[in-house]
Amino acid sequence: MNPAVTAIQVLLFPGLSFILSYTLYAEWLSRKTVARLQNRVGPLHTGWQGILQPLADFIKLLVKEDITPAAAQANIFNYTPLIIFAIPLASTFLIPIQSITNLWGYEPVAAFEGDLIIVLFLMSINVLAVFLAGWSSGNLFGAVGATRVALMMLAYEIPLGLVAISPAIMARSLSIVKIVDWQATSIQSFLAAPTLPGILLGLVMLIGFVIYAVCLLAELEMRPFDMSEAETEIVHGWQVEFSGVKLALLNGGHNIKMVLAAGLLTSLYLGGPTGPILPPVVWFIIKTSVCVIILSNLSALFARFRIDQMVEGAWKYLVPLAVLQVMATVALSGVI
Amino acid sequence: MSDRQFVIPIGPQHPALKEPESFYFTVDGETVIDVEPRIGYNHRGIEKAMEVRSYIQNLYITERVCGICSNAHQTAYTGSVEEVAGIEIPERAKYIRVFVQELERLHSHLLWLGVAAHEIGFDTLFYYVWRDREIVMNLLEEISGNRCNYAMPTIGGVRRDLNKDNFPRWQKMIDTVFERTEYYIKVASTEQTILDRAVGVGYLGKSDMIKLSGAGPNARCSGVPCDIRKLNPYLVYDQLDFEHIVVDNGDVLGQVLVRALEVLESCKILKQVMDKIPDGEIRTNFGPLSRIPEGEAAYLVEAQRGELIHYTISDGKNMPYRHKIRAPTLANLPSLVERLKGGYIADIPIVLAGIDPCFSCTDRMAFYDEGKDKKWSWTENDMRKYRTEWFEK
Repeated sequence: MNPAVTAIQVLLFPGLSFILSYTLYAEWLSRKTVARLQNRVGPLHTGWQGILQPLADFIKLLVKEDITPAAAQANIFNYTPLIIFAIPLASTFLIPIQSITNLWGYEPVAAFEGDLIIVLFLMSINVLAVFLAGWSSGNLFGAVGATRVALMMLAYEIPLGLVAISPAIMARSLSIVKIVDWQATSIQSFLAAPTLPGILLGLVMLIGFVIYAVCLLAELEMRPFDMSEAETEIVHGWQVEFSGVKLALLNGGHNIKMVLAAGLLTSLYLGGPTGPILPPVVWFIIKTSVCVIILSNLSALFARFRIDQMVEGAWKYLVPLAVLQVMATVALSGVI
Repeated sequence: MSDRQFVIPIGPQHPALKEPESFYFTVDGETVIDVEPRIGYNHRGIEKAMEVRSYIQNLYITERVCGICSNAHQTAYTGSVEEVAGIEIPERAKYIRVFVQELERLHSHLLWLGVAAHEIGFDTLFYYVWRDREIVMNLLEEISGNRCNYAMPTIGGVRRDLNKDNFPRWQKMIDTVFERTEYYIKVASTEQTILDRAVGVGYLGKSDMIKLSGAGPNARCSGVPCDIRKLNPYLVYDQLDFEHIVVDNGDVLGQVLVRALEVLESCKILKQVMDKIPDGEIRTNFGPLSRIPEGEAAYLVEAQRGELIHYTISDGKNMPYRHKIRAPTLANLPSLVERLKGGYIADIPIVLAGIDPCFSCTDRMAFYDEGKDKKWSWTENDMRKYRTEWFEK
């Protein structure tokens, strides 16, 4: 491949620059959605409808004092924010958005057979980094938040992995691009000639989408699963001691994680960046925006669960439902 | 204390506490074993300050005991002073006092509902409730000129009159609050994520509650009828028709229901006051207050948080010899400790907020030597001495 094209892909589009500015937009969209649902106006003054507010917040945090508490384990404490920022950013390179050599192509920056597994693995590693960040901060609330993050992972990780695999079973590939390809072709053939197994598969995939959205909500530590940073209980959980640049990186990392989650939802269940008439990047923006709105909507609707209720609920309902969903997918894959 | 048990301090500074107060929780894993509350972080010496000020000046001190129940404190204070002085206030003034008191109850209960929603992480409900609370706040501002500390009751009556022309418009505003509250009751008693955090949380039964002598909605949610407006009617509450709200849930859901149902009853009371209010004077002329006779009187008021007692002793001067305030939160603290025991750490904020604590009302200072079982308090001179020594160190 041409090194100049690769450099543009990594640095400008659809790499770093695009992803970072898109995360700021996603944060604005999420904040605005939640605010409107809560009868508020949300960010309003910085830029059009406050669209530059996330950027302003980021810059403001960069100039704030950066404190390392005496009780913290300085090495881990200072470097985990970087890891929490970098891991989801690296994962977004595996999400198909837009090829820059071909207007209708959507190959990701880096793609290989089995990249779905890598994305899931990186997301788990990210949770480990979050745990270390909370644990190393030398704060009681930080430690409680960190253990809650780890406990939550035990609850949502298995259904998350299971329902991510079911589109892969249908596509008979672990490559995200091939899963998107399969969805695009199968939707076209289904629209040309609707069949009963096709409708059933659509329903099964809808269940998968719901489970995946709920698990991602937990992964993103958004309400009702924000017990790891519950403000009224443990002050801000694992983030309590972070300030300045480190907090800016944590917030940035959270936004990238939200875009990654929306991107994965789109790629695995909504047909990726494919669609009629418009080029892939536009479809990517439309579909991920819908996903961000869905996630924000869910987070505005519920009260926070207790950690024991969350773990119990995940093992009682989400895991069996995810297993059933995968079994139904396997059964249908034999028919189609 | 076993190996698994450790002590978590919550407060004096903690987001779940709106005012500084300290609690030491002994926990075993995620379960609370024991609670030790420590009050005194918000002590302002109000009772002492009242002894060196005239009855009129004290009006404004009592109002500032607490920002939320300012009118309840002022009503109780004026009531006790009027009883000592033998002043009978006009009927219209009584109705106006009830009107402001019930509006204050509306805004306080709605505020609590929002705070409770916030404590269980349901900010959407919090924002909705507080928006509706603004209707009540605007109404209070229109009547008294202030959003809190209304300065309405004065000795011998009230300071401002209500304009009859506004009643239809006010009735509409109150109807909106009524409808919205009915909706919130529906949400709170059917929404599963709220029920998960409210049912069975911080449970205390009726017999325990009677033993620990709680007050207000905290006691009424455990099935103890204790509404002073019904048991010992003051002002014109005996002429008004309203329910004595008692539920026997005993948990956080019960506390939500009691307060939400009381909002509905308050709306009904407000409507009746607007229908029944007689014409006439709003103040009596009683001559100079320097001639207040010797005597003592206690006045009980059902504040939003429970039974509020003001007790005045007069020695014939123009200042009270002693004025004692018993705020409802002080009565609710023992039952709060029992409610917290055996619960989860995650439920601490909502159970704490459940009694609607007002620590600025509650705070008292006394010295206690645990080893010698000896109690004492300081006079003003002792405090001056301590201050001088502390600064010279």
